[in-house]
Amino acid sequence: MNAVELINVTKRFGTFAAVDNLTLSVPAATVYGFIGPNGSGKTTTLRMIMRIIYPNGGTIRVLGEDVIGQGAASDRVGYLPEERGLYRKMKVRDLIRFHAELKSLRHSKGDAQRWLERMGLGDWGDKKIDALSKGMSQKVQFICTVIAKPELIILDEPFTGLDPVNASLFIEVIQELRRSGATIILSTHDMSVAERMCDHLFMIFKGNKVLDGTLEEIQSAYGMDTLRVKIDLNGRQLEAVPGVAGVADFGRYQELRVEQGVDTQAVLRHLMDLGKVRHFEHAHPSLHDIFVRIAGPEAKEAAHA
Amino acid sequence: MRKVLVVAVREYIAAVKSKAFVITLVLMPVLMSLGIVAETFIKEKVDLNPKRLAVVDHSGVLYDDLVSEARRRNTEDIFAMDENSGLASDKQVLPEFHLERVDPAGLDRDELLLKLSDRVRAGALFAFAEIGRDALDPPADGSDANLIYYSNTPTYREMWRWLRDSVTRVVQQWRFTEAGLDRQKVVWALQPTEVEQFSLFARDESTGAIAAEKVDEMATFVVPVIMLMLMFVVIMIGSTPLIQSVLEEKSQRIAEVLLSSLTPFQWMMGKLVGMVGVSFTIVVVYMTGALIVADRYDAMQLVPFHLLGWFYAYQTLAVLMFGAVFVAVGAACTDHREAQSAIMPVMIVIVLPMMLWVNVAREPGTTFSTLVSLFPPATPMLMLVRQAVPPGIPVWQPALGIALVLLTTLLCVFAAGRIFRVGILMQGKGAGFRDVVRWIARG
Repeated sequence: MNAVELINVTKRFGTFAAVDNLTLSVPAATVYGFIGPNGSGKTTTLRMIMRIIYPNGGTIRVLGEDVIGQGAASDRVGYLPEERGLYRKMKVRDLIRFHAELKSLRHSKGDAQRWLERMGLGDWGDKKIDALSKGMSQKVQFICTVIAKPELIILDEPFTGLDPVNASLFIEVIQELRRSGATIILSTHDMSVAERMCDHLFMIFKGNKVLDGTLEEIQSAYGMDTLRVKIDLNGRQLEAVPGVAGVADFGRYQELRVEQGVDTQAVLRHLMDLGKVRHFEHAHPSLHDIFVRIAGPEAKEAAHA
Repeated sequence: MRKVLVVAVREYIAAVKSKAFVITLVLMPVLMSLGIVAETFIKEKVDLNPKRLAVVDHSGVLYDDLVSEARRRNTEDIFAMDENSGLASDKQVLPEFHLERVDPAGLDRDELLLKLSDRVRAGALFAFAEIGRDALDPPADGSDANLIYYSNTPTYREMWRWLRDSVTRVVQQWRFTEAGLDRQKVVWALQPTEVEQFSLFARDESTGAIAAEKVDEMATFVVPVIMLMLMFVVIMIGSTPLIQSVLEEKSQRIAEVLLSSLTPFQWMMGKLVGMVGVSFTIVVVYMTGALIVADRYDAMQLVPFHLLGWFYAYQTLAVLMFGAVFVAVGAACTDHREAQSAIMPVMIVIVLPMMLWVNVAREPGTTFSTLVSLFPPATPMLMLVRQAVPPGIPVWQPALGIALVLLTTLLCVFAAGRIFRVGILMQGKGAGFRDVVRWIARG
C-alpha cells in the first residue's frame, strides 16, 4: 500500500517545466526523504501533493484518493511548509485549536496540552505567538501540523533554524509518529539527517527524478568507489595520484573518488609516499557526495556564471 | 461549510479584538458626546471683558442712536436665555460693547485712521468703524461703502454683526421718520406668510379615517442622513480591514499553511462571513445607542423600523461586495504602498453616494435619482436614502436594486476568489492590472 503515488506528473509555469513527467511512490508508514538542490521542484511537488497547486498532467493519488478534481486539501494530511507563518496576535492554544478545527477535529484540548508538554512548551499555551522565540514558534507550527493526527505528514525543511537539541527532539518525535503508523515525507538539505532518518530517499533535479530507493540501494548503485582518508597534505596534491578521479577536501579529512576497478592498495601506497596517512577507509560514497556529483557541476557553473 | 465558519470565527475575534475596531466602536460615540460637552464648555469660555469700539461718524447724526443701541444690548442681549422661562437669566455669555466717539473734524482721514489702528494694535481699542457721509441716503449707484469696520481680529464676527444690524436699524428708523411712516405699521405690512407642510391625504384602511400627516422636518431629512452615515461607517469598518489582514497573511507567510487545510475559496468566504459578523456587531451597538437616545427624547416615532430589514440586507451584501474587492486588492498587492494606490478607485466608488445623497434626498423621484440608486455599488446607500424619505418609493425599485447588488456581489466574490487563489501565494512583486484580468478570465 502506497501513501502517495505520482504517475507521469508534469507542472509547468509558463514555458518552464518545474516538474517534468515525474513518477514516484511513497510506501505507507515509512520516512521518505526528499532531496534536491534549490529550485529543483521539491516544493512544487509537495504543493501538488497538498492540492495547493494542480499539475498540468499526470495522476496523483494520496492515501488512495485521486487528488485531481478534488476541491479541498485532505484532513488526513498534515503539511509543514518551508515558508512558515503563524498569526502573531493569537495565543498558542487558540492557534493550535484553530488548526485542529480546520482539519475538522473538534476536541483537541487534551492533545494540544500533551503536544505542548512533549515539545517543552507546557507553560507557553497562554502566550501570544509574538512572545515566542523562533525555535518555539517552529515547534508550535509543528504541533499545528500534527494536531489532527494526520496519516500522511509532509515536512518541508523541518530542521532549518533549529539548534542541535531541538533538532534531535524533532527527529525523535518524527520517529514516534512513524511508529504510530503515519507516513512521513520530509525534504531536507541536510544529507546526514537524510542518511540517518529516511527509509527511502528520492532526489529530484531540474524537475526530474534522479535517485529513488533505500540508502543501501542508492549507494550500491554507485559501488565502492570512495576512499575516506586523513593525511597531512592539501587536496590539490591528491588529485595527481594515479587512479583518483576526484577529491573532496573537508579540511579535517578528504574523500577521494577512485576510477572503476582501480587497485586501492596501490593508491594507499602512493598516499603513504606523499605524507603521513592517519586514516584510510574504502567505502560507498556518502549521500552528500552523490548529491554533489549529480548537482555539483551545475551548481559550480552557476557559481562561475 | 464548517471550515468557512472556523475561519469566520477566527476573523471575527481577531477583528473585534483589534485596537482599530475598539477605537471606532467605542471612541466614536465618546468623541461625539465629547464634542457636545466641549461645545457647551467652550461657550462658557468666551472672553467677557468689555470691548471698545471707536466710531468715526461722517454722517454726524447716527452716533447717539448707536450708543443707545449698544446700551440696550449691554443690558438685554448678553445674557444666557433661561431654557424653561424663555427669559434672560443673569448669566452673562457675551461681552459688553462700549462705544467711543471720534470727531473727524479738521483732521486728515488717513492720519486719523492710522492713529486709531495703532490704538487697536496697542490694545486700547478692540476695533473701529467709519460711517459714511451718505449713510442715511446713499447714492443710487452704491459706489461707496457706507460702513467700514476695521479690526485686527477678522474672524471675530460678533461685533461686526452687531454693528451691521444696529446701523441698519438706526438708519431704517431715521428713514421711516423722514418718510412719515410708522415703523410698527411697516413691520406689520411686511410680515411673511408661514408655511406648514403636509403629506398627501390618505384613507386609513383599518379605521376608515381620512387624514394627512404633518411633515416632520426631522423625519424627512435627519433619519435618511443617520441611516446613510451608519451604512457608510459599517461598510468602511466592515470591509477595509480585509486588505490589511490579507496583506498580513501574505507577508507573514500564513497562506500556505492554511491552504493545506482548506481551499482558497473557503478561506476567502470565511473571511467575508467574519466581517459580515463584525459589521452586524457595529450596527447592533450603534442602533441600540440610537434607540436609547430616541427613547430619551421621545422620538421613537421617527425610528424607521420598516426599513431595518432592507438595511440589514443592503449591509450584508455591501460588506460582501466591497469586502471581496478588498480581499482581491490585498491578494494582488505585496505591500501597503501598492495597496494604497490600488484601493483609491474603490474608495471613490464607496464615497460617491456621500456626494450625491443631498440631491437624491431632495428629489428622490427623478430619473437621475432612480438611476444612481440602481448603480449597484451605490444602491446600499442611495436606495436606502430614497426609501427613508417620505413617502418612500415603489417597492419594485429596492427589489430590483437588491437583485442587482446580489448579482454584483456574486461577480465580485467569484472574481476575487480567482484573484485570491493565485495572488495569496505570490511573493515579491505585486500583480499588474493585466495579470489580474488574466487570473479572473482564466481561473
